[in-house]
Amino acid sequence: MLPSELLAVWKRKGTIWPRYSRFSQDDLAVASSLIETYSTHVGCKKRRLKEFADELEDKGFEYRFVRGLAFLLEGRSVFKCDARIDASELRRKIFEASGKLGVPTTREERKRVVEDAASELRMTDQEAERCLYADLDSELVLEKFKMLPPIELLKEYNIRLTQTLLFDATEARFTTTGNWQNIFRAVKRLGLIYEIEKDESLWVKIDGPSSLFKLTRRYGTSMAKLLPAILVNPKWSFEARILWKYTNEICNFKLESQRDGFLFRTSQPSAVAYDSNIERNFAQRFEALKSGWLLKREPEPVSAGKHVMIPDFSFERDGVRVYMEIVGFWTDDYLVRKIEKLKNIEAGILVAVDENLACGRLENLEKQSHVKVIRFRNRVPLPSVIRFLDEAYRGTRITQVGFIRSLPIVFTEPVVNYAEFAQRIGLSFEAVKTALAEKPPPDYVIMPTTMVRKDKLEQIAGKIEEKANQSGCLPLSAALEVVEAEDIEDATSVLETLGYKVVWHGISMEKAEVTKVENKPQQASDAGHSQTA
Amino acid sequence: MLHLRFDMGTLLLKGDVGTPYGKWDPRVDCYRIKAVHYRDVLTYLEESGFPLKDEVLSLPPVEPLESTVMLRPYQNEAWARWRRAGMRGILVLPTAAGKTYIALKAIELLRLQTLIVVPTLDLIDQWKKRVSDSLGLEAGAVGGGENTVRMVTVSTYDSAYLQAGTLGNRFMFIIFDEVHHLASPSYMQIAEMYVAPYRMGLTATYERSDERHQLLPALVGEPVYAARVEDLAGEHLSPYSYEKIFVELTAEEQQVYDREMTVFKGYLSKRGIALKSAEDFQKFIMTTGRDKQAREALLARNRAVRVALNSKAKLTLLAEQLRMHRKEKILIFTLHNDLVYVISRRFLIPAVTYQTPKEERSEILERFRNGDYRVIVTSQVLDEGVDVPDASVGFILSGTGSAREYVQRLGRLLRKVEGKRAKLVEIVSRETMEVRTSRRRHKIAAEA
Repeated sequence: MLPSELLAVWKRKGTIWPRYSRFSQDDLAVASSLIETYSTHVGCKKRRLKEFADELEDKGFEYRFVRGLAFLLEGRSVFKCDARIDASELRRKIFEASGKLGVPTTREERKRVVEDAASELRMTDQEAERCLYADLDSELVLEKFKMLPPIELLKEYNIRLTQTLLFDATEARFTTTGNWQNIFRAVKRLGLIYEIEKDESLWVKIDGPSSLFKLTRRYGTSMAKLLPAILVNPKWSFEARILWKYTNEICNFKLESQRDGFLFRTSQPSAVAYDSNIERNFAQRFEALKSGWLLKREPEPVSAGKHVMIPDFSFERDGVRVYMEIVGFWTDDYLVRKIEKLKNIEAGILVAVDENLACGRLENLEKQSHVKVIRFRNRVPLPSVIRFLDEAYRGTRITQVGFIRSLPIVFTEPVVNYAEFAQRIGLSFEAVKTALAEKPPPDYVIMPTTMVRKDKLEQIAGKIEEKANQSGCLPLSAALEVVEAEDIEDATSVLETLGYKVVWHGISMEKAEVTKVENKPQQASDAGHSQTA
Repeated sequence: MLHLRFDMGTLLLKGDVGTPYGKWDPRVDCYRIKAVHYRDVLTYLEESGFPLKDEVLSLPPVEPLESTVMLRPYQNEAWARWRRAGMRGILVLPTAAGKTYIALKAIELLRLQTLIVVPTLDLIDQWKKRVSDSLGLEAGAVGGGENTVRMVTVSTYDSAYLQAGTLGNRFMFIIFDEVHHLASPSYMQIAEMYVAPYRMGLTATYERSDERHQLLPALVGEPVYAARVEDLAGEHLSPYSYEKIFVELTAEEQQVYDREMTVFKGYLSKRGIALKSAEDFQKFIMTTGRDKQAREALLARNRAVRVALNSKAKLTLLAEQLRMHRKEKILIFTLHNDLVYVISRRFLIPAVTYQTPKEERSEILERFRNGDYRVIVTSQVLDEGVDVPDASVGFILSGTGSAREYVQRLGRLLRKVEGKRAKLVEIVSRETMEVRTSRRRHKIAAEA
């Protein structure tokens, strides 16, 4: 953070915006000349470094910008007091002497006092004069300086500038893609209160207890401290309301990773961090299984009533989602409360409990409907997890298939794409496909990703036959063209259904042909059925 | 059953009952109430006959204390009025009139968990010492790296504000030393976030130029007693005299002064800006953030002012004055630290600024007290609160136009010692804007 008088902003029509460095040639020049000054002036007084910064201001560079950068560089420096003896000890001797001899008002009197004290400390007059206030801040000497590239300094400056603006925030909201556990831990530690709003993404609104009564900047510092935990993610949006103290007006402030991320991004997004070896070990073994489930560490928070929960893992497959929590040390009481919270979540959840770390006896907990407790020692057993996942998957599938069957739908379009249809009714692709395959609507032929009305299929068959030569052969590209003209993505399946087979002449697509397989009836309605689980 | 508990500087009321003091908080699904209303809510719920479990307070144990505090008649009167006002209210008394003793008496008689809020770290030490000397109690401290809560605890305004979430339910009685600080937008939340029903504010300078002191009665209570320097000078405070000495800038200084002021005034008249009040000036400062010329004008003005404030002629005169007052204990006040160190080096006298290490500062004050040192030069750090005993002569080399600063600096000299006659001397550069600044602080101070 920077001293608030160094905060430079743009303010227009109710929005406020720090004057970020956009890495212009000028900005980079100021940054590199300041960095160079610090790195080449080890052994110089702080006062001298400040004079150099003043010179840059005199050259016409924005003074708050120059001072802001200098402030950050000072933070990367180590200063020391350049005096052989303790300066406060020297002062004591001198002031004692002047107290005894009387305050010197002439040059001679003064000389006598200094000599008196200096000789007692076995130093020369000049040395005494030099050391008298060597421990004052401006007299300290630069001992060490940690270098950094100019562009990094400017990015650091931009982050600090944002934080300084946030000191005056009354509330903030943000959404992002990861690091959730750290973010929520920080929210709690900083004494903030959050609320969850869900639109396309999950928004977290933050303020504090007293915000209920009046606009207060009290929590601005906490919001500023939270910011870096959000900015480490590749994607985020951040909004805040700033109570601008100089004009007493509320201004909006918005940051968005796509537009503004380049201002701050300093490091690669950090690798997934595991809380424990048990988690890491589980993730590795599970990934090796290639179960078809997508495993995610620290997924997006799940809302559980008023609060959110960030499960350790999520498993995803065809729109079915299951969560897992791994519990370390626990007591009965803790588990009961935990499960009570989890009951509010509308998704299957697994709780893996380490029996080695038990601090109580676990009884009667497994009765909760969608909360399943797995006990383990040393490592989470994969079979139990897979069994639960499969059950959840099947369960969801059965419910969804049943639901689709119960829908009073009459299909009329010539071509129905499952994925599109699934999205329209908000269910998974697999569920739609299963439901349709098990009981196909009359007049339709079922294919792996689409179903096509029979008359449409005949029409296509006619067109292909028309184009084919006497031996029943047709270039593959021509055949595909006919099918794709009907807006069917999976053209090869249609050709197969119609009894055509691809004959390759070499690997070139242009030379491939389709040819009719004899006596193959037009009813391969269960093509691809074997793919269904 | 209703549950009332403390939550980070506020109260939460659980159960299906509202109160006129609370507000429904949809974030947590229950009523939230400002901590300052603790007593009112309690009374309301009790009178309404709801069964209530009050889990708000978390008080440190009460410790035995022995008091040696004897009040003077006017202190007794102040104490009585505060008690009659329901143990709430503000006492306005000049520096050195013994506000502290009234507060200590209140602690003795209430015997409740007490938080004393003070502006500076020095004052923490000073109050701890007084509590120990007068009540025989070791006080806890919050701030400056310490964090111990005891029956009597002293904290800075900063720490009391930052830690309101955890300290707000630990005291029944809260004393605000230099209570005028409490009116600032952030600090006033201390008053709102602590449950303590009994409150006392102490100050020598109640009124603020920004009028915000009008917020204080709602936070601490009405001003219940006020006395001015003139009311107490002679009998309870040292009699004092005041003198203003003008010095001429050197020819060279005058030249620089005039040149820089021309730049400044030229800018103002070109833009048609009139600087009549503090607000005008604040607005002007704001424009310097975006207008380069305005900033140059401001820098020119600052250079001119620095020349006037730090004129060589002042130091020459100061040398004379120091010779004249060889026997007295002297305080020298300046506006800026630079000048403090110039004077300290030139006359070899100890300096006290915010940069002075804490131990060195208390050592300097202690040695000034016992007479090892006779003169101290300081910027603004000693203006407020810190006891500087029996200094008899004060030199103001430079200052702001603030009446508060003047009254406080004067107060440093007024602690009663038999036979002492205090003297305050102001040294002002003639023909500069400093003359007006000096006049301003007197005018306001005289009206107060």
